[in-house]
Amino acid sequence: MTGAGMNRISLLGTSPRNGTMLLGVMIVMVALPYLLGQSWLSITTEMLILALSASALNIMLGYTGMVSFGPAGMYAVGAYTTGVLMEKMGWGMLPATLAAPVMAGLVGALVGWFCVRRSAVYFALLTLAFSQIIWTVVFQWYSVTGGDDGLVSVPVPDFFFEITNCYYFMLAVVSVCLFIIWKIVNSPFGMTLQAIRENPNRVEFIGVNVKRYQLASFVISSVFLGIAGSMFCVFSGSAFPDYAYWVKSADMLVICLLGGIYNFFGPLVGTVVYTVLTKVISGYTMHWHLVLGGIIVLIILAMRKGVVGTLANYWANRKSAAA
Amino acid sequence: MTFESFAGQALAGVSLGMVWFLIAAGLSIIFGTLKVLNLAHGSLYMLGSFCCYQVTVSLAGVPGNFWLAVLVAPLVVALVGGIIEVFLLRPIYKAEMIYQYILTFALVLIIAEACKMIWGTGYHSVKVPWPFQGSVAMFGLSFPIYNLFLIAMGPLVFIALRTLINKTNLGRNIRAVTENREMANALGTNVPQVYTGVFMLGAWLAGLAGSLWPPVSVVMLGSDMAVVIDCFIIVVIGGLGSLAGAFVGALILGLTTAFGLYLIPKLAVAFGFILMIIILIIRPYGLMGEPE
Repeated sequence: MTGAGMNRISLLGTSPRNGTMLLGVMIVMVALPYLLGQSWLSITTEMLILALSASALNIMLGYTGMVSFGPAGMYAVGAYTTGVLMEKMGWGMLPATLAAPVMAGLVGALVGWFCVRRSAVYFALLTLAFSQIIWTVVFQWYSVTGGDDGLVSVPVPDFFFEITNCYYFMLAVVSVCLFIIWKIVNSPFGMTLQAIRENPNRVEFIGVNVKRYQLASFVISSVFLGIAGSMFCVFSGSAFPDYAYWVKSADMLVICLLGGIYNFFGPLVGTVVYTVLTKVISGYTMHWHLVLGGIIVLIILAMRKGVVGTLANYWANRKSAAA
Repeated sequence: MTFESFAGQALAGVSLGMVWFLIAAGLSIIFGTLKVLNLAHGSLYMLGSFCCYQVTVSLAGVPGNFWLAVLVAPLVVALVGGIIEVFLLRPIYKAEMIYQYILTFALVLIIAEACKMIWGTGYHSVKVPWPFQGSVAMFGLSFPIYNLFLIAMGPLVFIALRTLINKTNLGRNIRAVTENREMANALGTNVPQVYTGVFMLGAWLAGLAGSLWPPVSVVMLGSDMAVVIDCFIIVVIGGLGSLAGAFVGALILGLTTAFGLYLIPKLAVAFGFILMIIILIIRPYGLMGEPE
């Protein structure tokens, strides 16, 4: 365990090569509207938002070792906060999107307070139960959330109807958020979270209040999930109960797992792989979930570190073989 | 609330609770021994109810077809459980918990989609079987006999499981493995076999619940997640790994749901959650659970 842990942490470090690669990726991202057609640009915009939600989940999952089955709940809180404020209360987009992370953070603090009271297995099932509560509330509170009809006419500014504008806006928001997450997980605070993941007992013994840190991780994760939800509401101009449903949580978990949870870039790579897989496989079969489930099983049995983790190990081995 | 409606709700609540107990007991036993939280437990229940429906339809003219279904369906589910344990769970016991959770999560997707492929998205119903049709008059009220049968099943299964675990050789092995896996292994217990057996037992219980409930309700997709969430609430209330906890938790949740449905139908689902939250505040380890 400890050996694996050391390995994981070193994978998260920065190196000049990573910097160059990151710059390259950014240049490509900025150039994308000139390279892709409308529909693929729209899919890429969705991917950006999905990548943010998966990275937000990974603060808990990969960095703190808390398996949450309910990220969709917080995502939906963000989406509905923005949606309800704009459609029903007539708020402008800026205050409505700023309110989303605040609301998600508050709900996250409340839900997290209950969830971190129990560890490991209970934590997992409590997060699932709470996300189902959120789903139920959204589904039943017809007068505010529109129930199963959802919110379908969120008055998003005309600026966003042009997909290129929308794309650049989302690229900016997601990049800033990812940068902040990067700073957080690589700060002393983030290191403490990783230490808790490796061995909560030892961390408790050296005088850290583990539950408080876990709650902080939960709240930070919720805030970014809220931003992602809010952004998706702006992007699609709608919000549906499905956003809070457990299938959405499963999507996010699978993305993290697919990319590799012990790497900052795992969820990002996972998003790309997952989206492409969805588009390709759903072209062949209606039973996408069956294939998805099969893929998860295969990853877990054969490639537990995910795409990024497996590649990173491969590179590390090659380097040590060369030296 | 009149006495009649009170008694009616109590009966409905207890019979619902007893069916939940069967499922939660399986979840709890599996967790106690294998230390695996089976998120797909509701899916096994749903698979059981579809199998039960299939048998009753296939043997439509045969007398006692429902009871054949109750015999066959749980065995099919137990077999599926056995396959899951041997081929999917066994390779990853040494891996971190997260992979086990996510693997069982993947099974939820697979089983739901498989059921959808085989039985479609419609609702199916199963008739109340002979000899439990009709109602019986008690306290000036009429009670459906089938519900009384369900209520009897709960304590019956509870006692049978207690006897199995406390009195038989198999139970001794299960307790030994639960207590200390390595030591039991060193003393000659076939641990993998016990694991498979326990998982199959848990799956069988889920399948049994799945085949007993349809006459009162309907067979449909989506019951997997609904049931597993209810079971989570039950084990949070009662304490995971405790049979008595599952029994008490299921009884409490069944009654809460039934009376909630009667008093405030729109918020009925919320009652279970509120109950769970209260328990988490006043007794975080569950009524029968012990601190971790």
